[in-house]
Amino acid sequence: MTTTIQETDERIIAVLSGEMDTAAAAQVEKELQPLLDSKGKEIVLDCKELEYISSSGLRVLLSILKQAQCVGSRVVLKNVNDVIRDVLDISGFISIFDVE
Amino acid sequence: MASLKNSWLSRVGIVVLAAVMVEILSIMQYEHVQQALLEETDLRSRVVMNSMAEEIQHTLERTEIIMRENLWDIKRSMAHPDSVFGAVVRLIDDDRNLVGGCLAFRPYFYPSKGRLYEPYASLQPDGTIKVEQIAGPDHDYTLNEEYLWVLENRSTSWTDPYKYGPDSLSFTTYLIPIYDEQGAIEAVCGLDIDLSWLGDTLNSRQPFPSSFGLLLTPDGELVAGPSQSRTPEEEVKQVLDVLNGHIPASDLPGVSFTRTRLFKDPFWQVVEVYKKDEIYARVRRQRRQQMLFIVLGLAILAFMINRYARNERKLREASEEKARIAGELAVAHRIQQQMLPKTFPPFVYGSLEPALEVGGDLFDFFTRDGKLFFCIGDVTGKGVPSAMLMSVAHSLFRILSQKTDSPARILESMNHELNRGNDSNMFITFFVGCLDLYSGELRFSNAGHDKPFLVNGAISLLPSKSNLPLAVFPDTQFEEQTYTLAPGTLLLLYTDGLTEAKNVVRKTFGRPRIQEVLERFRNNPDQTLCCLVTTLSEAAHAFAGEAPQSDDLTMLALRFEPDHNRSEQITLVNKESEVTRLGTFVKDFLAPLELDKKLASGLRLALEEAVVNVIYYAYPVGEQGEILINADTNGKEVRFTITDCGYPFDPTTVLKPDTTLDAQNRPIGGLGIFLSRKLMDSISYSRIGHKNVLFLTKNIL
Repeated sequence: MTTTIQETDERIIAVLSGEMDTAAAAQVEKELQPLLDSKGKEIVLDCKELEYISSSGLRVLLSILKQAQCVGSRVVLKNVNDVIRDVLDISGFISIFDVE
Repeated sequence: MASLKNSWLSRVGIVVLAAVMVEILSIMQYEHVQQALLEETDLRSRVVMNSMAEEIQHTLERTEIIMRENLWDIKRSMAHPDSVFGAVVRLIDDDRNLVGGCLAFRPYFYPSKGRLYEPYASLQPDGTIKVEQIAGPDHDYTLNEEYLWVLENRSTSWTDPYKYGPDSLSFTTYLIPIYDEQGAIEAVCGLDIDLSWLGDTLNSRQPFPSSFGLLLTPDGELVAGPSQSRTPEEEVKQVLDVLNGHIPASDLPGVSFTRTRLFKDPFWQVVEVYKKDEIYARVRRQRRQQMLFIVLGLAILAFMINRYARNERKLREASEEKARIAGELAVAHRIQQQMLPKTFPPFVYGSLEPALEVGGDLFDFFTRDGKLFFCIGDVTGKGVPSAMLMSVAHSLFRILSQKTDSPARILESMNHELNRGNDSNMFITFFVGCLDLYSGELRFSNAGHDKPFLVNGAISLLPSKSNLPLAVFPDTQFEEQTYTLAPGTLLLLYTDGLTEAKNVVRKTFGRPRIQEVLERFRNNPDQTLCCLVTTLSEAAHAFAGEAPQSDDLTMLALRFEPDHNRSEQITLVNKESEVTRLGTFVKDFLAPLELDKKLASGLRLALEEAVVNVIYYAYPVGEQGEILINADTNGKEVRFTITDCGYPFDPTTVLKPDTTLDAQNRPIGGLGIFLSRKLMDSISYSRIGHKNVLFLTKNIL
C-alpha cells in the first residue's frame, strides 16, 4: 500500500494505491496526516489504484472527512472502482463522501 | 336452523294429522253409534210400549168381562129399584179397579122413581162404599152425549177421562147398554175406573231415570202420566203441546217420542218420552274414555316420533362427526407429511409411514453452514395425541437448532419446553445429530432412542450413550458425543416401528433382519439411500404379512460423502499485522475458483473483518492467543471457520450500525461485523467446549 500527496493552490490530491487492509490502515493514516491540515483546500482522494479496502481503511477516510468538514473543506473520492464502490455502498459511506 | 324448524314442523304435522284422522273416525263412529242407539232405544221402547198397551188393553178388557159377567146380577136386581144399589156395590167390591158404578135408567123406567133414576155407588177414601141416587134436575143424564151415543149405537163405550175436581183422581167410565128380552135398552150401566194405576204401570219400568210414559186419548188429551214426583207437570205439558202440534218439535230438541195406540176402543195412545241426553249418556261416557285413550295414544305417538327424530339426528350427527374427524385426520395427515422434508440431497433419505392417519414419529434434517442437522424421534403411543406432541417437538427442533450447533443443547432446550405442562405423561425418544459435511465430524446426543446402525467396513451400532427420553424430567442433562465418520460411512436411524414390526404370530422383525438388508446394501454401493430405505420398508411389510401395521415406521439414512475438493487452514496469532498473512491465504485459496473480482474481494473482506474482531477482542490485552482459520469449498460454496480459545463471544449478536448517519455522527468503529454479515450468506456462532467457533458461508455459484 502506497500513498502519494500532491498539493496545488486549490486542492490537495492523495493518490492511494494497493490494498488498504487492517494491517495497512495504521500506516496509511499516518501518511495521510498532512490532509488533516487542508486549510480550506479541496481534498481529492484518487482511488484509481486502490484495489481493496477494509473497515479500518474506511475509518481512516472517515476521520479525514470529519476533520475537513470542521474547516469547511470538501473531500472528493475519484476514480473509485467497482470493488471499492461496493464496500462504500454497503457501509453507507457513499452518501457522506463526494464520489466522482 | 331452518332444517331444525322444518323437522319440528313435520313432527307436529304428523301428530296433528293423526289426531285429525282419529278424531274424524271417532266422530263418525260416535254419530253411527248414536244413531244406532236411538234406533235401538226406539225399538226397545216400542216393544215395551206394545206390551204396556197390551197390558192396559188386557186390564180394560178384564174390567169389561167382569162387568158383563155381573150383568145378570144387575138385571136380576132391576126387578126392584132399590135392590139395584146392592148389585152395584157388589160389582165395586169385586173389582179393585172400580171406584164407582151407576145405572142410568130410561126415563120413567120405574114409574115410582119419576122420570130420572140413577142409583150410584162410590168407593170412599176410607174404604166404605157410599150409595146415593144422583139424578136430578141439575144432573140430567139423558142429555149426556155418551149416554145418548150408547143408546144410538147400542154399543159399549169408554168415555174420555175426566175428573170431578182439581184434586180428584182421574177416571174413565165404561158404559154398557142393558137390554130387555126384546132387545130394547132399559138402562145404561156406567162403571167408573180409576186411571191412576195406568200412569204408575206405564212409568214403573222406565229404561232411563227421566224418561216417562204418557197415555193419551186419540184427541191428544192426557189420560195418565208420570207422577209429579217423577216428572214435573210443566215438562209433561210441554211434551203434550208438541204432541198436539201447539209448538214445533224443534222447541224441544233434546226430547224424543215413540207413539203407539190401543188397537180397539178406547184407542188410547201410549207415548214414550225420553231425553236424548240419557240415551247417549253411555256412549258419551265411552267417547270421553275413548278420547282419553286417543290423546294418550297421540302423546305416545308424539313421544315416539320425537324419540325417533332425535335418534335419527344423533345418528346423523354421529356420522357427520365421524366424517368430520376423518376429514380433519386427513388434513392432519397432510400437514404432518408436509412438515417432513420432501426433497432429499443424494446423501440423505428418510421416510415415515404412520400406522394410523397421523403418527407420533418424526424425522427431519436441514443443512446450515456446511453442516447437516438431523433428528429422528418417536412419541409413546400413536394417533392424534402423539402426533400433536410430535408437532410441538418438531417445531422446537427447527427453532432451537437454528441457534446452536450442539445437539445436547438442542435436546436440553426441547426437553425444558416439552416438560412445561406435560400432564399427559407421554414422552419422546429423540436423537439429534450434527454432521460436518466437510470433515465428517458427527456431534450427537441420544435421548433414549434406538442406537443407529453404522455401516462402513463392518455393520455396527453407533456407540451412543442413552440419556433419558424427552419430557420425562425437566432438568435432564444430555450428554453430547462426537464420532468422526470416514468417507462413505452410512448411518441408519429408525424407530421401533421397524425393529418391532410384528407378523401374525407376534414375532418381531428385529435387528438381525435389518442387518441382512444392510449387508446386501454394503456389497452394492451403487444403490441409492432411497433404495435402501424402500427395501427395508418392503422387507418389514413382507415380514408382517397380513398383520396390521402396529406402529409408525420411520427411517432416516445418511451417508457421509465428502464432496469438497479443497480444504485449507492457517493459524494466526492475535496481532493486527497477521491480517497481511490472512489476505494472502484467502487470495491463494480463492484464486483457483476464478471468482468475480467483487465476490472474491467481498469474501476476503468478510473474513478479515471477522478475524480482526477476534484479534481485537477475544483475548485479554497483552495476552497472546491463537486463531485457527479453515477455508473449505466444494465448488458451490465457500465456508470459513474461525476458531479461538478466547472469551465466549457471539459476534452475530452485535447490533447493526446505522449506515444512514452523516459523517459527524458516524462512530468510527462497529462496522466490521456488519460488513461480514452483509457480504456472506450466513454467519453462525457456536461455543464448542472452550472454543468460540464462527462459521461464515457463501454460495459462489
